[in-house]
Amino acid sequence: MSCAVRNDASNGDEELLARIAAGGQAALSELMARHGRGLRTFATRYLGHAADAEDVVQEVFVTVWKQAARFDPGRGRASTWLYRITANRCIDQRRRRALRTFFGLDDIGEEPAAPEANAETATAARQELAIVRDGLSRLPERQRMALLLRAVGELDITAIAQVMGASTGSVEQLLVRGRRALRDHLADAARGRERKSS
Amino acid sequence: MTREEFEKNRRRFGDDIDAWPAPLRGPALAFMALDGDAGADGALDRLVRQAALVEGDDRALAREVMARIERGAARPSLLPRFLVAPAGLAACTAAVLVAATVAGYQVARLQDQPQDSELLALAAGARLADDGGSAIAADPGEGDPL
Repeated sequence: MSCAVRNDASNGDEELLARIAAGGQAALSELMARHGRGLRTFATRYLGHAADAEDVVQEVFVTVWKQAARFDPGRGRASTWLYRITANRCIDQRRRRALRTFFGLDDIGEEPAAPEANAETATAARQELAIVRDGLSRLPERQRMALLLRAVGELDITAIAQVMGASTGSVEQLLVRGRRALRDHLADAARGRERKSS
Repeated sequence: MTREEFEKNRRRFGDDIDAWPAPLRGPALAFMALDGDAGADGALDRLVRQAALVEGDDRALAREVMARIERGAARPSLLPRFLVAPAGLAACTAAVLVAATVAGYQVARLQDQPQDSELLALAAGARLADDGGSAIAADPGEGDPL
């Protein structure tokens, strides 16, 4: 059932891209409504910087507007194409920021997208989510990207491999390592809370 | 969330975690993710999805994108985008290096030619000019009285 729904959505995306290629602005707006939130979430958590992520997502949709005709449905789903563009733009953005920081033009470090929950003030649920966000931000870049593409983009291993330009085997490895590190982080936090309460 | 709490909530709210009250979902997913069951990876992915969620203004995004598109249409860039991208910059740098290398070889080849002829003349028994100039002294035998 959910697979059928996803296929319908995918077909819908392809139709939208065809209409965008023909100059349909309404189709672009619809594509933004469908994928804007997911792409923004992916970019924000990958970059750790909300303003940069917003800029990247805008760039992605401008690129889609200009290059929609280049999308080939035979090579993958529309969502895979969108995430591939976003991942490439995020990598470019990260390099630009690193270069600016290196030359002393930019002293701003990681800017959390949302206020991280404080252990004293947040509810248990918020704490849990804040711990996951913290764990995500500590993962190596490629593990973080693979996990976010899986969880946020809901891409399968093959699609993640296409987005990252890697083999399916190495994507599986990245996911295994990333999940293990995240679980360790969650378990450490749980142990810390137990010690505190006892 | 402990196993006891999780089981108690499951009996109360059912197997579908999405149907549980919102404050219990995160801890429940974290418990499932750490539990090591078959669905642990799925639970962790759902937890990551929930944690990563970022609220944003979709209308503002659409407005900004349309404004960028209109600005781009009104003022085309002087440089092709490829040239300002990292790959383009790397390609340009490589092209400049190759051109400089080729030019260097050409200049060196032109400079080497007289030296080669000098060395050949020296090997044949000629004398180099004392002032270090490029002229080769006349054949040592030339002009000598027989």
